[in-house]
Amino acid sequence: MGFLINSLRKIGVIFGVFLGGSLVLFTMIRLLEGDPVSLRLKNPDPELVALERDRLGLDDPLPVQYLNYLGRFVTGDWGRSLITQRPVAEDIASRLTATLELTLAAMALGALYGIPVALLASSGKSWWLRKVSHGLGVIGVVIPIFWLGFILIVTGSLWLQVFPTEGRFDFTYDKPHVTGFLLLDVVLTGRLELFGLVLRHLFLPALCLSFYPAAVAVNVIHPRLQGPLVRNLAVSLKARGLSPVRLWGKHLLKLTSPPLITALGTNFGALLGGAVLTETVFSWPGMGSYLIDAILEKDLFVIENGFLFVIVMVFTAVSLTDSLAHRMDPTLRKDER
Amino acid sequence: MKASRIFELILGVVLLWACIGLVHTPFDPLSQAFTAERLAGPSTGHWLGIDGLGRDLYSRIWLGSGNSISMGLIAMAGNLLLAGALLLVEQRAPGWLSRFILSTISGWLAIPVLFIALILLIYFKQGPSTLICAVALGNVPFAFRQLRVLWLHQKETLYVQASRVLGSRSWMLFRKTIWPNLQPDVVGLAKLIFSFSVLEISGLAFLGLIGDPDFSELGSILRQNKSYLLADPLQVVWPGVFLSGILLLVQLSRSRTT
Repeated sequence: MGFLINSLRKIGVIFGVFLGGSLVLFTMIRLLEGDPVSLRLKNPDPELVALERDRLGLDDPLPVQYLNYLGRFVTGDWGRSLITQRPVAEDIASRLTATLELTLAAMALGALYGIPVALLASSGKSWWLRKVSHGLGVIGVVIPIFWLGFILIVTGSLWLQVFPTEGRFDFTYDKPHVTGFLLLDVVLTGRLELFGLVLRHLFLPALCLSFYPAAVAVNVIHPRLQGPLVRNLAVSLKARGLSPVRLWGKHLLKLTSPPLITALGTNFGALLGGAVLTETVFSWPGMGSYLIDAILEKDLFVIENGFLFVIVMVFTAVSLTDSLAHRMDPTLRKDER
Repeated sequence: MKASRIFELILGVVLLWACIGLVHTPFDPLSQAFTAERLAGPSTGHWLGIDGLGRDLYSRIWLGSGNSISMGLIAMAGNLLLAGALLLVEQRAPGWLSRFILSTISGWLAIPVLFIALILLIYFKQGPSTLICAVALGNVPFAFRQLRVLWLHQKETLYVQASRVLGSRSWMLFRKTIWPNLQPDVVGLAKLIFSFSVLEISGLAFLGLIGDPDFSELGSILRQNKSYLLADPLQVVWPGVFLSGILLLVQLSRSRTT
């Protein structure tokens, strides 16, 4: 019962975010002085502009426009870009998969080295591992991620000459189209010879972005494994004959997973922000450049629908990870009722 | 002398150096006086060489550091003022209003600063002031929550209660009893917010959202120089070294104080 109420409350929050976000975006665009339609046409002929505005429904009363906007967003009819005339929904689908592939790879990679470093630093007596873990934890407030990206390009592409400097794919090959996630697509279409190519393109941007989730992992795990209670637990489990790997990798990691998952979820938005910077460095064809161009060119429908979608997506991710953490840790469920 | 004190001193010297950059640099950071020596390496006349448009890179970075730091300081001050004011309202307000503020803050926390900046840029002009506003606003939820924890902790301590029993009221209670104990933590928080602000402002400038591409700010210098990445990687390395160096000093001066 508590679970049901909690889910309903979360859906309510997402709905509130949807209403609030759409209202802010809608007002911001309507406050603009220039008319987005006449900005697009090189020689704005007043008659043509009026015709186009009428076709796009921009002359309706504001409440009607707002309700139409909400209706179109929910039904997936996101209109066409005023600049390129391409359908917004299609563009977002292809760019979103690029961004998600990058962020998910970064999260996986960050967890792959962040969690072991945090666990080893908490378990061992080696001071340099503690230093590494501390350094990993503060890297986000010391080194700008876009500069780190360039350093990676200089070392990985210019010196080692192993990795390409930009993009997701080599366009001399035929690009597979199934899900939009290239790594998955090359497996699904059976063209495994391209797997290495896609992986090489993905590696540097993902590594660059992975310091972010790794820092979150270190900052969540390390302090939680410091208290005297955890020390006692570790000693008693060790006395039962558990190997260190089993002790730290299973029992104590399990203890810190729910807060770790919550923290990763809350930071999903910030990770997307970092992804925008990483995408710019590596010319990754993701959401970042798409949304920035839309803002700079006042591309009405891209702004209205693209931003609203990203905001709703971020809050859905936060809610989902929060629910997952609640499933894993029964003590968190107390405040559900 | 504690290590963090030494780093604080070095940080002070660096801040002074950056402030001087705002009024004086060896060469005009904007004049393309050395087009004949484009991308020339470091020399005695030009310590960090010449950039791709024929300008002295050291002068650009010097002014850029001054701009980055002063923008970060303004954003930090604005941010702490906003967060402090919001905390005051939240503490004094009736229950429903403070609950509303708290839930708005926890939602706001999930939206990255970059998106707040982009949404502001739908309506406002590109430029340094918009970026400062965006960064100051974007970090409000973080600062608010930190300040609130510090405040609630202080409010419940025995010496504050004792002082209250002795008849100390509102402003004097805050000024004489609470603030001296709150101050080190608030200074530590301010340094952290400053780091966030500088990083975020230069990140936004790197994305080209500062408007004028020639504006000397470490992030926008990096953006301009990235086209020379393959020809002369140092053009991209230097602005980042200065940016990271400043932030590292802030971090080192912070680590032991709180």
